[in-house]
Amino acid sequence: MTEPYLRVENLVKKFGPFMALNGVNLEVYPGEVHALLGDNGAGKSTLIKTLAGVHQPTSGQLYIEGKPVNFRSPRDASDAGIGTVYQDLAVNQLMSVTRNFFMGRELKGPLGTLRMAEMDKIAHDEMLKIGIDFSDPTQAVGTMSGGQRQTLAIARAIYFGAKVLILDEPTSALGQKQQMEVLKTIKRVRKRGDIAIIFITHNEIHSQLVADRYTFLALGQVIGAGKAGELSHDEIRRLMAGGAEMKDLEGELAAI
Amino acid sequence: MSDRSEADRLTQETTFMRLVRRPEAGAFIVMLVVVTAITFASDFKAFNALGLKNNIAIISQFGIIATGAAMLMIAGEFDLSIGSMIGFAGMSMAMMLKWGLPFGLGEATPLTAFVLTMCMTLFIGWMIGTIVVRSGLSSFIVTLAFLFFLRGLTEVCFRLINQSTQISGLPDFKEESWVAWILGGEVFGWVYDLWFQLGGNINRRGEQWVDGFDARFLWWIVVAFCAWFVLSRTQIGNWIYATGDNKDSARANGVPVNKVKIGLFMFTAFCATMFAACQVYDTNTADAAKGNLMELNAIAIAVVGGTLMTGGFGSVIGVAFGAVTFGLVANAVFYIPWLDGSFYRVFVGLVLLAAVFANERIRKRITGGI
Repeated sequence: MTEPYLRVENLVKKFGPFMALNGVNLEVYPGEVHALLGDNGAGKSTLIKTLAGVHQPTSGQLYIEGKPVNFRSPRDASDAGIGTVYQDLAVNQLMSVTRNFFMGRELKGPLGTLRMAEMDKIAHDEMLKIGIDFSDPTQAVGTMSGGQRQTLAIARAIYFGAKVLILDEPTSALGQKQQMEVLKTIKRVRKRGDIAIIFITHNEIHSQLVADRYTFLALGQVIGAGKAGELSHDEIRRLMAGGAEMKDLEGELAAI
Repeated sequence: MSDRSEADRLTQETTFMRLVRRPEAGAFIVMLVVVTAITFASDFKAFNALGLKNNIAIISQFGIIATGAAMLMIAGEFDLSIGSMIGFAGMSMAMMLKWGLPFGLGEATPLTAFVLTMCMTLFIGWMIGTIVVRSGLSSFIVTLAFLFFLRGLTEVCFRLINQSTQISGLPDFKEESWVAWILGGEVFGWVYDLWFQLGGNINRRGEQWVDGFDARFLWWIVVAFCAWFVLSRTQIGNWIYATGDNKDSARANGVPVNKVKIGLFMFTAFCATMFAACQVYDTNTADAAKGNLMELNAIAIAVVGGTLMTGGFGSVIGVAFGAVTFGLVANAVFYIPWLDGSFYRVFVGLVLLAAVFANERIRKRITGGI
């Protein structure tokens, strides 16, 4: 069995008296899509922000390729190969595709000048690689569709060396067709074989379309995990609802 | 199923449409109208040898501070302390020249007075920026506090040390000091020499009338060129846009948002000090009321130049057009006898309102109507 690229061991995160994560374990393998599921407030956001270096864990340890690591800033995490695509995508609407693509990591010439032609070309080529042909890299991001913005953010993370790609609800704010585009993009990235994807979603159908492995969170704890073949559809639905029996919920609904 | 993709929905624009969509387009058209109107209304007097010099003087003043204000606005912050900073810097320099350096450091030269004042104002700019980014308060309130604080401090210092809120009759340093000369002297004399050779630029006695532009013309060009270059061609420029557009996403991508903002607060302080230095060394006077309301002029010019109030978008070239427009109108009363001077403010009000609407339209077109 291959070694996980990223391993999370007993991760605890407290905000003052509030226990956001209570001993979470997670293993992420290259070439796999790891679906991270859970209700609102389950701790998904805290978990990915800790992985991305935004929060520091209260206790517990992260391992990259078996070696313990500590991220003091988002920079540390991205240097270690963790690329996060946030829900709001971290793109700037008024800026061009290229300027967004290289935001914070511009290619510099003498005097800190931008190597614009080169950057335009790289942005265009990288977007093309994961399935969007962009004729005009000087176009403002504000004119792009939600799916295209998602692609931009994913392409950016991969280009800057992400080995673990964290996608925070990439399909939630999109229309049907664009959701499928994003799932296609996820599959294309998975096919490369060298990148591990953590796919956070509310949507069990989307997760079943692409996921190889599942972890379910509820109230800051892992309440279930397993490989795609091992979990039944009903089990996934039960765990997604935070462990509550779907039948009970349906019963409660019917009673109103 | 059609094979159309999302990319097909964006129609290719003609070069003309691209130009019209640029942020400086509106400012350019307004400038053309104003230049034409003032040329004819003043019977060409606004652009004779002396008229041009005087117009360029005020245009350069506006241009220097508006460039600073616009850069800061693009990064999403305001600076209302520019005007008071001008008064403070002017007071500081003139006071050192008259009463010597502080802490008994002896006689001041134009160089030491300028350098010491610049250090102080840059420090105040750094402090304003640090307060804004550390506290997360609106820069509007923080710099409003410094508007009052610095103006009051300027007046207090004047009265305590100088017994009067103005200094006049300083010796003319331009002859002996190169610092005073490059700040307050004359530049581009060859333009007027050439003009004289060609048969213009003659006074009533038949001699050459005007020798050159005020040195601040050169400083405006330097400041505006550097700002344009940094903003559109460098990494720091990309950081400034990113900071003003959405600072959270900029931060998530590793842009040092706080440093960018603090740096730009220091840049507006620098611009205000250059404004004051050119004035002090040109006229050899200082007054506690100098620079009053200049912060609002600077912001108005930045907006008319196409800078968005919400940040993330703007152009230094547009600001230059705006400075030309405002400078000409502010001076128009001297060339058009029937014009009431207060029409300047009427004009500013109207143009400002029109500019805000125009900018909002541009923003919506870029972001696809959000």
